[in-house]
Amino acid sequence: MAGAKTAKALNPAVQKLAALPILIVVATKRADGSVQLNPVWFELKDGFIWLNSNTNRTWPKNLQRDRDVTMLLVDPKTPDRYAQIHGRLVSLIPDPKAEFIDRLSHRYTGKKFRELEPGEHRVTLKIQPVTVTGQMV
Amino acid sequence: MAVELSPKMQAFTQEVFPAIIGTNRKDGSVEIVPVWFEYKDGSFWINGGTNRGWFKHLQRDPRITLLLIDPKEMFRWAQVGGRMVNWAEDPGGDHINHLSHRYLGRDYQNPRTGRIKIQIEPLRINGSIDGWR
Repeated sequence: MAGAKTAKALNPAVQKLAALPILIVVATKRADGSVQLNPVWFELKDGFIWLNSNTNRTWPKNLQRDRDVTMLLVDPKTPDRYAQIHGRLVSLIPDPKAEFIDRLSHRYTGKKFRELEPGEHRVTLKIQPVTVTGQMV
Repeated sequence: MAVELSPKMQAFTQEVFPAIIGTNRKDGSVEIVPVWFEYKDGSFWINGGTNRGWFKHLQRDPRITLLLIDPKEMFRWAQVGGRMVNWAEDPGGDHINHLSHRYLGRDYQNPRTGRIKIQIEPLRINGSIDGWR
């Protein structure tokens, strides 16, 4: 990551992209070391990237094991403009009343999130951006 | 064993958007970048310079994950877990020029020297194109 900028604050171009209702691609590592890629809902707020998932999904489990995550934002109009954000999981926050997933759902669909399935537990993942590289830096 | 793509997946690979590739860095972190690709003869093909980080990673650990995602409708996506099975020089840049025509409809504008083409065998596929798995 030589030459990468420390993301004390993501630069205005990245912030502008992050404000769009696009998905962020989250890269985590499976237990066998292979890379898993998932496009997910997110929000950039207070300098952190916030994600939410069902606790049964593999990618949040991978993330809890490593605490290390790489994320990619791609400009939907110009796909060769992108920002790769390397970050650390700083906290895992249970979302029992689905408040945060409802907030994300409003951002993407304008509606409340669907009813949770029996036994579904939502969790919010708070990620500190550490470095940003790519064509928008 | 390489997997065969379903007809829906084959059609999806003909659409024009970059693949997002994930490779393993030496320090254990993951690099993800968008690259041009094509799916042909049962393999995925990408092209790069030998100095690209991801190519160095692949020489050490040939495992690669590709995310094919429609940038305009991001709920349409497929994740392809694969392996680099071969790479070769791209003399004269014929392959990068071919990809440039697929993506931009014109000749490749940058230097065509020092390029390589990489063959990736798909091993597992999931995502929304074939239905969730």
